[in-house]
Amino acid sequence: MTQVYPEFAEELERFGIDTTMDCFNCGTCAAICPLIYEHFPRKMIRYAQIGAKDRILENYEDLWRCLHCGLCIQTCPREADPGDLILGLRRFVVDNWRRS
Amino acid sequence: MYNPKNIIDVLADNIRKTRNPFGAGNSTMNKWWKKTPLRTEGDAMLYTGLMYQLMPYINKTTHQIERFEDTAIANYVGYQKYVPKLLVKSAFAFMPVRKDKKRYNNILKNIVKLLDKSHVDFFYKPKLDFYSGILLYDLGDNEGFIEHAKFVAGKLKEMGIKKLITVDPHTTYALKVLYPKYTGISFDVKTYFELINFEAQDEGRQITLHDPCFYGRYLELSDVPRKIFDRFGIENIDVRNSGKFTSCCGGPAESISPALTKEILTKRYAHLQETGKPLVAMCPVCLGNLIKIGADVEDLSEFLGHYA
Ligand code: SF4
Ligand code: SF4
Repeated sequence: MTQVYPEFAEELERFGIDTTMDCFNCGTCAAICPLIYEHFPRKMIRYAQIGAKDRILENYEDLWRCLHCGLCIQTCPREADPGDLILGLRRFVVDNWRRS
Repeated sequence: MYNPKNIIDVLADNIRKTRNPFGAGNSTMNKWWKKTPLRTEGDAMLYTGLMYQLMPYINKTTHQIERFEDTAIANYVGYQKYVPKLLVKSAFAFMPVRKDKKRYNNILKNIVKLLDKSHVDFFYKPKLDFYSGILLYDLGDNEGFIEHAKFVAGKLKEMGIKKLITVDPHTTYALKVLYPKYTGISFDVKTYFELINFEAQDEGRQITLHDPCFYGRYLELSDVPRKIFDRFGIENIDVRNSGKFTSCCGGPAESISPALTKEILTKRYAHLQETGKPLVAMCPVCLGNLIKIGADVEDLSEFLGHYA
């Protein structure tokens, strides 16, 4: 069972991300992303929104596939900066590694 | 795919100890300036950020990393950590091909030629020309990046440097956007091609420019080279994905997954080939990848250097 942490969006502010809740899950980013990979980055952003930390930590390798190319940032209708959100999640994972 | 943790650990450790991702002194690879007459005083400092100089080593190391990716050896517990460490640490042992080194060094000499021709008042101090640390930022090691950025920005500030002329999109983004944000120290940063102001004419010449993501989107500088081409009478035939909507060459994935880079690069190259024109790149990573896939490609500085 996946545990959710609704306060995770706030926790991400420590990693430079304050747009987590701006995303309305339209999927534009996943459609334009050159990775064409399992609804990336939309799915990861959804995990972040509900605070599914375990899912993020289990699937951390996906975060490092992102090229930080910015196409999703350019096209997101909500200006949620999805590519930067992925970068913020990397910082969260790195921080987790260093603490454990 | 390599475990990012292992790659980050190796790179962060090297940068912390030597200020360079490969763990060797900057002077080992930064030799392009040695026979080039350059001033040591002037209005703005030419700041290469060592990216072009690193490319021959990156090419060699990536080639080795690619050989091991997803093989039994790389996936064997323990080796996942050992393989990247060994490969990155021994980058200098894989002696880069001399031709490769010469080409990247010549790119920097061409930039000097273009600035001279444009009567730009600039100088160069190799000891102050540090790697920006951008790879740590991209890989999510913000702590490591900030430590390094503070060291570099502090050194430049201490020496009274205020204006910087950059040569690649990644270093430009780091110095222009990230350094002020994370170190509180700002510089007046301009790319070399923003300073080109001489005239030339080559009516009828056609090329296709591949915009790097960081100039196209993050820094919005795509129109600058296009205006130079217009002035020179050169026709740039754009592919559909260009300027703000350019497609990535796949380079950023290289340290973690050369296989992913290859997949993205192959798609981008197919689009670029549609125009049938020689290609012009503006970033050492894009250039390296396009050379690797066999493209007829020049760096913007090599291309414009023909007219200087
Ligand atoms: S990040 Fe933006 S583009 Fe992606 S799903 Fe959310 S709102 Fe849509
Ligand atoms: S920045 Fe990352 S998630 Fe966004 S389009 Fe590029 S590769 Fe995909």
